Amino acid sequence: MNLKKPGSSKPEPGSYQPVMPRNWWLQHRYFQIYMLREATVLPLLFFIGCLLYGLYCLSLGETQWQHWLAFMAQPWVVLLNLLAFSASLFHAKTFFELFPRVMPLAPPGLMIAGQWLATLLVATGLVLLLGGWL
Amino acid sequence: MSKTINIARYNPQTDSRPQLQAFQVESDNSTSVLDALLQVQQQDPSLGFRWSCRMAICGSCGVMVNGIPKLGCKTFLRDYPDELTVSALAHFNVEKDLIVDMQPFLTHLAAVKPYLINDDQSSQPHRQTPAQLAKYQQFANCINCGLCYSACPQFGLNPEFLGPAAITLAQRYNLDSRDAGKTARMPELNSKNGVWGCTFVGFCSEVCPKKVDPAAAVNQGKVASAGDFIISMFKP
Amino acid sequence: MQQLQQDIIVVGGGGAGLRAAIAAAETSPTLQVALLSKVYPMRSHTVAAEGGAAAVTLEQDSLAAHFQDTVSGSDWLAEQDVVEYFVKHAYQELVQLERWGCPWSRKADGSIQVRRFGGMKTERTWFAADKTGFHILHTLFQTSLKYPTITRFDEYFVIDLLVVEQQIAGVLAICFSTGELVQILGKAVILATGGAGRVFHYNTNGGIVTGDGMALAYRHGVALRDMEFVQYHPTGLPGSGILITEACRGEGGILLNKDGYRYLQDYGLGPETPAGQPKNKYMELGPRDKLSQAFWQQQQRGLTADYHGHAVVYLDLRHLGEAHLASRLPFICELAKSYVNIDPATAPIPIRPAVHYTMGGILTDINCQTSISGLFAVGECASVGLHGANRLGSNSLSELLVFGKVAGEQAAARVQKMSLAPVSAVAAQCQHQQTYISSLFADSCDDTVHAIRTELTLAMEQGCGIYRDNAGLQTCLSTLQALKIRYQQLKVTDNSKAYNSALLQHLELGFGLDVADTICRSALARTESRGAHQRLDEGMTQRNDSDFLKHSLAICQPDGTAAISWQSVTITSLPPAERHYGAKGSGSAGSSV
Ligand SMILES: Cc1cc2nc3c(=O)[nH]c(=O)nc-3n(C[C@H](O)[C@H](O)[C@H](O)COP(=O)(O)OP(=O)(O)OC[C@H]3O[C@@H](n4cnc5c(N)ncnc54)[C@H](O)[C@@H]3O)c2cc1C
Ligand code: FES
Repeated sequence: MNLKKPGSSKPEPGSYQPVMPRNWWLQHRYFQIYMLREATVLPLLFFIGCLLYGLYCLSLGETQWQHWLAFMAQPWVVLLNLLAFSASLFHAKTFFELFPRVMPLAPPGLMIAGQWLATLLVATGLVLLLGGWL
Repeated sequence: MSKTINIARYNPQTDSRPQLQAFQVESDNSTSVLDALLQVQQQDPSLGFRWSCRMAICGSCGVMVNGIPKLGCKTFLRDYPDELTVSALAHFNVEKDLIVDMQPFLTHLAAVKPYLINDDQSSQPHRQTPAQLAKYQQFANCINCGLCYSACPQFGLNPEFLGPAAITLAQRYNLDSRDAGKTARMPELNSKNGVWGCTFVGFCSEVCPKKVDPAAAVNQGKVASAGDFIISMFKP
Repeated sequence: MQQLQQDIIVVGGGGAGLRAAIAAAETSPTLQVALLSKVYPMRSHTVAAEGGAAAVTLEQDSLAAHFQDTVSGSDWLAEQDVVEYFVKHAYQELVQLERWGCPWSRKADGSIQVRRFGGMKTERTWFAADKTGFHILHTLFQTSLKYPTITRFDEYFVIDLLVVEQQIAGVLAICFSTGELVQILGKAVILATGGAGRVFHYNTNGGIVTGDGMALAYRHGVALRDMEFVQYHPTGLPGSGILITEACRGEGGILLNKDGYRYLQDYGLGPETPAGQPKNKYMELGPRDKLSQAFWQQQQRGLTADYHGHAVVYLDLRHLGEAHLASRLPFICELAKSYVNIDPATAPIPIRPAVHYTMGGILTDINCQTSISGLFAVGECASVGLHGANRLGSNSLSELLVFGKVAGEQAAARVQKMSLAPVSAVAAQCQHQQTYISSLFADSCDDTVHAIRTELTLAMEQGCGIYRDNAGLQTCLSTLQALKIRYQQLKVTDNSKAYNSALLQHLELGFGLDVADTICRSALARTESRGAHQRLDEGMTQRNDSDFLKHSLAICQPDGTAAISWQSVTITSLPPAERHYGAKGSGSAGSSV
């Protein structure tokens, strides 16, 4: 199928080409939420940084480890990590809602509930394991 | 009652960019934006917009209403305050008033080979169970109105991106039990303007007037594309 | 003026035009096929068809039965050889569409599911949920993308046919995006421009269904046949006219008057069938004309309800249950919720009759050939002879496919042995049109397209509605004449080039006025009642086979009005008999219902 506009040998009358403004993502609530979701990566980066720093400290010995624990207990660090935690929950929520649409294996409600349940189980398992209860 | 409708007017012969013009229209409980535009056209016959079926099935009448892509015939004045703004669909070139150039959209549709590809020659119908039909049925309901393209910032930033409707159509045929053309369609979907151009903003599904859920189709396409890639790694 | 050359020119991108273009492209891969449409093909009004497409499918069904239903439905005005060809090829065409990907609804075992439809004796209607036309159109459009020899001219508006010595030579079109005239020469032209419903006020048709193709052919001397037969659909939404498909009744919906009474039993369609257990040809599944007429009778007796100033009756679907409605009639639920703010699961839908289908059209033979050599017509704009005085629901979608293929193949066969007309032969005609178009523009004009169109459609509704009489038709005719005079003075005040819809609407109105004239004059000439044409005048309320078992032909006179002449009907195997529905219809074999 020939999709070229057959009349295009004629001079086309002008047309207005819209340009995306730089702040397009501020223009609707929907795009703002999208950007917020994308931005969840920032606090998560901080959290990963903390973790890596902790591992590094552990390798340096007991005093450094204590130092790291103290660092982690500072209110602003706790706050940022709480933020990272809620950001990851938010991200998980959007992801879990997407998943049944991408892989429609069961009714969406069921799949969403299933994913949260699995997360809960894994998280509890990990806590128990790391806490030495298992 | 009377309402104000601001319309982004653009005449290529005289204007460099669209400009708002206000009109008064009479509105009752069932007045659609399309009805309002038809009223305006009686006041000013030079107003340009597309429409035909006035029952939300032909896909002609897409416009932005207060910045959100909508079908004019399925959007009712009753749901807006006394004033609203109607402009041409975003991310397409505006040709006149509310008429945009749909050619890029059609080119993208055609690029995904949207037809059954198989080489059986029987003269009898295929068998297809209701379950097999259900796999793709929703994706076959696209009316090509283009609202999803106006909702997609990735298409706005890169007009070469195949976009929600075209990828959905590819997926519609890929999922059809009668089709064997997936390998022919995947290169287009795997390409840089294919499924990976999508960052899952998800607004396309939000604005779709037929609940086709193009975002789901695109992301299913990503799964397929990733599968393709992994398989190709193990091939000599 | 831009000049282009093609082998075959298809005017119209609806079901008929697309099917014809594909058939032509498949016949010979060397032919250049142009597909012109004033809107993008998938916007064509075929998209709005909801119910389904008919073909003999089930074991217990037979070609003879489909033939009988169609002929008796037509009130014996169908061309029986055409009907025979049609019923024989319909199944094959629906299968072809299946093989192109149409998502037909299925039975549990994966075979095609068929449903009941009004006027059909048994289940033979294929459907794709309640969006059959939509799926047919999109399947055809998408399939057409496979053929590199089909060149689309989207948003090209044809304003004239180019004819040289009774041979077609091409078309003249306006390119909507630039406003330029384009001359396209071709060896064959297929008109597939759809119906003319929009010359009436209340109708189920989209805004583009303005009878253009009929007027194009008519102005070149081709007869329009059976134009008096205009089908009202009994169930349109009040105001907008948006169609609520017959499938609602097929699924078991019932019609109630303002007192909640199933009034159809009073008009020869009874006895009453239990709600939710529809029976073919009884009650709600009687033919459309009878149902619309019953509405009119109820309105006369004051038994219709009022909905915002429109007389209505009710379509009740509540007993079918929410789940069933959601799975079988999802589109209807959506329409009712949007346009009358009603949930069919909890409340009955107000409905009233609206013009739906033009049975008549461009006279063609069984090969879709018109009286101009090389000019073909197919689909709702044509009268190949399938529908006679009344079309059966779901026959027309199949018609688009069966005869679309015929037209495409016939056109392809013709062009192999033809050459293009020389440009010089059409130069004068093109120049004439160019001058005419230029003369239409002026800075101001007191009259408007909208005003004339509104008067036209109201006059048609009044004079050529569900029931007609001499006085009403005469009034309508004089209104039409007055409007034509006003039209000649009318000017286009928007002189912009790109996308000038004011100009196109002006031209559409001109087409509509011509078509309306043929409808009105044919209706005046037929002084009997048959199918969709019902006269109230004394001595005309019955079918009169001795005088009127024949087609009307409207032929354009030099003064632009129609002269009516008559053509005999081809009857092969089913001699005229009475049309019976309801209990009367279930008589012995041979009662020809
Ligand atoms: C609401 C509704 C529901 C229906 N349901 C059913 C059903 O269930 N079953 C059934 O069998 N039938 C049904 N019908 C009837 C059937 O849908 C139509 O008869 C059929 O679709 C007409 O198809 P077509 O191809 O002839 O014309 P259309 O689909 O109307 O196409 C006409 C084409 O011609 C083009 N055109 C017109 N004028 C010009 C011009 N001047 N220049 C260039 N192009 C032009 C248009 O752009 C368009 O592409 C229904 C009809 C309506 C309105
Ligand atoms: S006019 Fe057809 S979708 Fe709105």
